[in-house]
Amino acid sequence: MGKRRILLLCLAAVLFLTGTAGLAESPETTGAALPAEYAEYRLIAESDRYEMYLYEPTISLLLRNRENGALIASTLNEHTAQGKLNKTWKGYTYSAFVLDVLTGSSKNYKQADLINNEHTLEYSYLENGFDAAVFYPEFGLGLTLQVRLDGDELLVTVPDSSIREETDGTCMAMVSLYPMFGATYMDQRTGYMLVPDGNGALIHLTDKEGRFPTGYSQLIYGSDNGFTESSPANYLWDRYETVLKPHQITAPVFGIAHTDEQTGYLAVVEQGEKRCSIEAHPNGVMRVSYNRCFAKFLLRDVYKQPLNQSGSTKMDMVEKDRTHHDLSVRYCLLTGEDAGYAGMARRYREYLQEYGIVTPQEDSYRTRIDFLAEDQEKFLVGTRAVVMTSVQDVKDIYAELQEAGVSSVLSEYRGWQNGGMYALPVTSFAVDGAIGGTGALKELIAEAAAQDYLLMPYVDALRMNAATNTFTYDAAKMVNKTTLKEKSSKQVYNLFYYLLPEKTNEKLTGLAEDLKRNGVGSMAVGGITENLFSYSLRDTYYTRNDGAYAYEQALRNASGGLKLALEEPFQYQWPTMSAFLNMPLDGSEYMYTDEEVPFLTMALKGLVPMYSDYVNFEANKTELFLTLAETGVFPSFYITKKNSSDLIYTNSNDLYSTEWDAYRETVIRFDRELRELNAKTAGAVIENHEKLEGGVRRVTYSNGVTVYVNYADEDRTADGETIGAKSFRVSERTAGGEAQ
Amino acid sequence: MKRNAETGKRLAAVLLAALALFLLLFSAAGADTPYVTYTVNGYGDIQETQTAYLAKQAIVKFGDQSFSNPDDLFVTDDGTIYVADTKNHRILAGTADGTLKAEIGKGTLQTPKGVFVTKDGHVYAADRDAEAVFEFSPDGTLLNTYGKPDNPLYGEGLSFMPIKVVVNDAGILFVICESNTNGIVEISPIDGGTFLGYFGTNYASADFRTIIYRAILTEAQRAKMVSNIPATPDNLAIDARGLIYTVTRGDGLKTVKRLNIAGINLIDSAESVDIPASIAAGNHNNIYVADQKGFVYEYNNDGELIFVYGGKDDGNNRIGLFTTVSAIDVDAQDRLYVLDSASGMIQVFEPTEFTDLIHEALYLYSIGRYTESKEPLQQVLDMNSLFDVANRAMGRAYFQEENYETALKYARLAKDRTGYSDAFWEIRNIWLKKYVTWIFVAAIAAFILWKVWKAVDRKTRLSEKFRKGLKRKEGGLRDNMAYSFFYMRHPIDGSYGIAREGRASWGASAVLLVIFILEFLADKYLCGFLQKTIQDGRYEIFSDIGMILVAVAGLTLCNYLVCTINDGEGRVKQIFTYFCYSLTPYILLTPVCFLLSHVLTTNEQFLITLIRLLIYGWSAVLIVLGIKEVNNYTAKETAKVIFLTIFTVLILALIIFIIYVLWAQVFEFVSALFGEAVYRVG
Repeated sequence: MGKRRILLLCLAAVLFLTGTAGLAESPETTGAALPAEYAEYRLIAESDRYEMYLYEPTISLLLRNRENGALIASTLNEHTAQGKLNKTWKGYTYSAFVLDVLTGSSKNYKQADLINNEHTLEYSYLENGFDAAVFYPEFGLGLTLQVRLDGDELLVTVPDSSIREETDGTCMAMVSLYPMFGATYMDQRTGYMLVPDGNGALIHLTDKEGRFPTGYSQLIYGSDNGFTESSPANYLWDRYETVLKPHQITAPVFGIAHTDEQTGYLAVVEQGEKRCSIEAHPNGVMRVSYNRCFAKFLLRDVYKQPLNQSGSTKMDMVEKDRTHHDLSVRYCLLTGEDAGYAGMARRYREYLQEYGIVTPQEDSYRTRIDFLAEDQEKFLVGTRAVVMTSVQDVKDIYAELQEAGVSSVLSEYRGWQNGGMYALPVTSFAVDGAIGGTGALKELIAEAAAQDYLLMPYVDALRMNAATNTFTYDAAKMVNKTTLKEKSSKQVYNLFYYLLPEKTNEKLTGLAEDLKRNGVGSMAVGGITENLFSYSLRDTYYTRNDGAYAYEQALRNASGGLKLALEEPFQYQWPTMSAFLNMPLDGSEYMYTDEEVPFLTMALKGLVPMYSDYVNFEANKTELFLTLAETGVFPSFYITKKNSSDLIYTNSNDLYSTEWDAYRETVIRFDRELRELNAKTAGAVIENHEKLEGGVRRVTYSNGVTVYVNYADEDRTADGETIGAKSFRVSERTAGGEAQ
Repeated sequence: MKRNAETGKRLAAVLLAALALFLLLFSAAGADTPYVTYTVNGYGDIQETQTAYLAKQAIVKFGDQSFSNPDDLFVTDDGTIYVADTKNHRILAGTADGTLKAEIGKGTLQTPKGVFVTKDGHVYAADRDAEAVFEFSPDGTLLNTYGKPDNPLYGEGLSFMPIKVVVNDAGILFVICESNTNGIVEISPIDGGTFLGYFGTNYASADFRTIIYRAILTEAQRAKMVSNIPATPDNLAIDARGLIYTVTRGDGLKTVKRLNIAGINLIDSAESVDIPASIAAGNHNNIYVADQKGFVYEYNNDGELIFVYGGKDDGNNRIGLFTTVSAIDVDAQDRLYVLDSASGMIQVFEPTEFTDLIHEALYLYSIGRYTESKEPLQQVLDMNSLFDVANRAMGRAYFQEENYETALKYARLAKDRTGYSDAFWEIRNIWLKKYVTWIFVAAIAAFILWKVWKAVDRKTRLSEKFRKGLKRKEGGLRDNMAYSFFYMRHPIDGSYGIAREGRASWGASAVLLVIFILEFLADKYLCGFLQKTIQDGRYEIFSDIGMILVAVAGLTLCNYLVCTINDGEGRVKQIFTYFCYSLTPYILLTPVCFLLSHVLTTNEQFLITLIRLLIYGWSAVLIVLGIKEVNNYTAKETAKVIFLTIFTVLILALIIFIIYVLWAQVFEFVSALFGEAVYRVG
């Protein structure tokens, strides 16, 4: 079987190379060059490098690379399917899309596909693709699939206007587009799938021996707090949460690379991504023997409607209306050297620039040193301020840093507002007198800016403190009309609400205006950058698209005149950011991911400055230091002048190690070494990233600089360079190999 | 022969290098963990801390042999892992890189639930269904079978179903048997297995209800009760010194025990574990316990919790979380091996830099090298200033160095009462020694001044003039307040005054009550650390005031109601007055307690306790006499009224509670109706 396929492939390649002219005029003749299992596919569109074939009954696509003859199929068919597939799975794997249909009000899904369900199918062809309109009379549901081949990209769209729901009580819940695009059987091919977990993770296309009951399945931009309520299922001593949530998806991408045939794709979920999950299932998951990755759009969900105050009685309800948005996935086809995670990152960088999602920002090196100004602890009948770093303290620390040769810094000033860190929401630039007052801070910001020290007031634009906001008019309500609450077991404030996105917009815009009036040039924003939720207001239900729109507006308003540093922002907010804070550098430790790769940092390095999570709370600092060197991310510290033990009775008692005296040396050392490294790569983007033997990474920059990072406990040699144990080395070579 | 040995050595070296490389490669990938690590502070409350252990690796099989519901594992000093592969009826030996070294007991074993390996490589398997402990040679040959002891002391009707086993250096077996509640079965290998007796028996705990039942039930009734049987230990381990460690489910603070050779528990109390599955003795006098739910606990030498981390997998399949944990063990490099029975997987955890420091510091401290322990302790505190186990050790280390001021500071941070008291005693001692002369001089000077003043006063009559100037208006507020002191000293005459001479006063009583409340609050929140009953940073002032007011109002009301139907003469004003006037001893003496609480150490706390007893006794006497005299009761009537008042107070509380519950129901109903309406309409 294998030999035959190779023969056929060779034949196809030979035929192509010997000059099969006039493909467009006679697609049938080209079809003959395809392997026998694709005999029924016909050529439908082509670009400089790719030919797109279509098998009409299942809207199956086959993409053929003219240069090397490599094929990528979108679905399985009778000839290519391997292993055991039951009727449902056959329908699933053979179809261009699969619908999850909800009937009635319970969480009872039915599958609709192009094999097992009666349907009508109408095509209309265009030069670069086609529209396929599908309708299921059985469910009264229909949609139109638009497929376009655009250069090296394949764009698949389901316009919102084409979705038909004509039977009462039956509706579309989920749409999976091309769920088998590029799928491989067991370990038949070599390569991997890319998932956007943390900085990027790979699932190898190897035999998983059925070890994993579930695969990667995460909602883009995190789970929806408008639907889910936290459940204290398995807490320590029934009280304390020990399990951390996995990383949220900030970049809506996934991909697969067949490294043996040097082909693959990077897919970007372009529209409808705010309510879409990325699925990447290695073989064995749900007893299917295929490795597959795809986007699953969520149109409707089922929520629990409590019927009494205590919430002891609930009923399942289906959302009345679906999310209205076009659904589209852009598959950037990769070939040759590009068919790998480094190629995917390069392609993603091009994509971000081409569509104006990221405009290159000034990205010179800065060490990030955040300060906690003040928090509150309980005292007698109220609370009292615990001042950790006053304006004067910041000034003194800056002076020390300058003396030590730290020439530029970015700082978030956290908890500067009246009432400290958790006096939320913040609506104006009114600095707490306990730390020095508005005038002092204003003066310091201006003074520091003159020395290239960027001091940014930090604001959590999402939360509202329940203890200081008795009325909840501004608080968002969940889909089931109960107030959205964030509870914790903290000592002082243990309940927070989320602001309605419109209110966030209002307050953040107001604050930004106030900052501008006071001559403050920058602001750090959190909360709304890491959360997106559905909500309801009076009779109307708002989706995550609405929330995102309000946040986008707020950030856009603020970014005119202010530099915005955003904490782990989602891709839709990237157009407004001038710095990316809290860049995740590692993954969520899924058992099925085989390795972690610096995908996101590679795509963004050189475009926008990125800052890591706090070094303080990292147990293995050496390893983190090496990762910073490898990824080009700048280090971050969380500093207080006073000893952290003063925070013990405040909400910030998770900041157990922040004292300046304990971190002075570390800050200066990190700054010295990483500043030197980043000076050499300034303005350049990462061209390639490779994992060499023995724990060495080779990172190649566009200006010819190569960084070698050695994670091993002993010296290693790469390209004739010796890299010391647990350290890095920079080599500035020209293309000719001469050291400069 | 020599050549063979050399080849072996070289092979070993290559293997080791490969293993090292493998581990390195693995450790390069990510340092994030899916769990939070906690420690506990001096109050026993949880405190977040740095990651203590990083999940490095998951082993799902040795060679091509995977595990099926494995129940136990053992890691030897050379890093070989033995797994009791329960459902596959065998013991598997392998290495961390997944190499299979041996398959033991195939064909012999039925349900091996426990495995232990001695230093010379002998493998013991506790087999429940085969009702025996099997001993195999290092190459897997069956050497001995220890079946049910035939000694009558074992208990004739008892079955022998071994589930866990450890063996000490003398070759004595300690076996936990299923449904044998007598304790750990101790078997000597002599004569093919000699029963030595039961070891480390747990005690059945008797709660208050059981004690009451036992006191009042007849023999026949008692026989019908569910018998109170001590729990069987769930698992056991042995350390290098030969001490046995056990864990027992549901034993509260006695969950974790370290037993000496006589079977006596050496650990006072340890933070409890819900469903303890396994225990292991660490290399630094520390102890590890794994909870079946996926939590891993680490305790220090004294059973104090250092770390707890891990958790149940939330369906995301992440390394570092578990489904059902069945065993834990630790190797020479402090790597933890945690066996997940449900998913048939061993997860390997490596300590972080932070944990290495903690281990070093606490080990040095536990063997008494205090000065040396200070440096690693300081580093630990730099990395986490809220780590109270380290703060406490630091305080004690400074104490040993006689740096009492610093010791006091750390003891206070760690909420360590003993350490604080000791350091304070020393500081006070030094102060007293330093100023003892001056104290005497001051006392003498005061005495002389007093004498001089007396002499001067006799001539000038200054104090008399002063007193005249302060003359109170009869029946005024100040006069009535002063009367409360008279009442305190002469309750019978005082009561007469209240009842007959118009000495009852709303104003004076209210002022006294307010002073009482203020003193109560000051004493509760601002007293010395050793007397403090409430945690730092906690304030319940509103509920404190509310409680006092409700109590006084309730007592007054109930007492009045009871008195009126019992021919009492007291009116509400008078009753309120005698309750408030009875607080005078508290008002006078609490400041003394308050001051003493700042200068006394634990040894002298009895003084404060004594004063408090005096306060309570005195107040009680005042109340009783107040009730008796004001209402003009006989002693018998007084006792009856007091009893009835208490009863009425209880009834009142019950009524309030019932109304509250009913009201909550009504509220719930209305809001549900409203919610439903909003939902239907909206």
